[in-house]
Amino acid sequence: MSLFPFFHWLQQTDFGTALRESALVYPTVMATHLTGMALFGGMIFLTDLRILGLAMRGTSVSDVVNQFRPWKRAGLVLVASCGIMLAWAKAEFYYHNPFFWAKLTLLLLVGVHALVFRRSVYNNTAELDRAPVMPTNAKVAACLSLALWIGLVTMGRLIGYYEVTI
Amino acid sequence: MLAYDPSTNPLNNNEWSFPLLEIIHIASFAVSIGTIFVVDLRLLGIGMRRQTSAQLLKDTAPWTLIALAIVLMSGPMIFSSDPNMYLHNPGFIFKMEALLVAILYNYTIHRKVAQSTPAPVLGAFVGGISIALWVSVVFGGLFIAFT
Repeated sequence: MSLFPFFHWLQQTDFGTALRESALVYPTVMATHLTGMALFGGMIFLTDLRILGLAMRGTSVSDVVNQFRPWKRAGLVLVASCGIMLAWAKAEFYYHNPFFWAKLTLLLLVGVHALVFRRSVYNNTAELDRAPVMPTNAKVAACLSLALWIGLVTMGRLIGYYEVTI
Repeated sequence: MLAYDPSTNPLNNNEWSFPLLEIIHIASFAVSIGTIFVVDLRLLGIGMRRQTSAQLLKDTAPWTLIALAIVLMSGPMIFSSDPNMYLHNPGFIFKMEALLVAILYNYTIHRKVAQSTPAPVLGAFVGGISIALWVSVVFGGLFIAFT
């Protein structure tokens, strides 16, 4: 079954059409997407570097992870809702865009990453604070997170470069 | 003799160099602004309250600077691909003005206040202005493509 009818329907809804045709709202949503990315992405980057011992060494891993958590969630909600709106407005273009699907795949992997490392790393920070050396699995989690981060930014930007010829 | 012809710029003669530069620009602005936001949230009293703003500034400043340096190297390279377009683009002009103010503010008032133990009202004021300035830079940059 093809998802195309759904994407086609999305694009021609009143909401999708209004978004797409607005000279002000569409770029504002995109700019908010980027601002949210600075908040969300910036904190993920700092968390990863803290685990790797490359940033924020004056603050414990627990303090970084636990205090960033509500802001990361807020940032994710902001980025994701703006992202959904962007795709909604030009759904057919996104449907045909391989970079969009690559980005969604990476997002899925971000979810897998969170599930895999939640127990041993992100909900286990008190243990990490006490560990004389940062455990390998925490470092692996941080490196994978950085790789996913770079991949998401890359695919996100490349979406705009793909030319759809229908 | 000295006329600059952008079509000779390698950025305009290679399919991948321009997008790659933009990706570097975006990733590094996210890090520079995101690290500043961490200090701002503390100044506003709504995040990272177990640390002082001075501690957070010390924690994040090296990465703010590294990322900002990459932003400020990739930006002019992007600009060089089509200077005439940028110089006449209202979004770009606004972005450059906001960026100048944001950088000056960040390394003077913002730093001074974050290093002190500011009264909650002063902290909130300084943090709020910082967020507003950096958000303006992002919006100006994005609107380059739409103005």
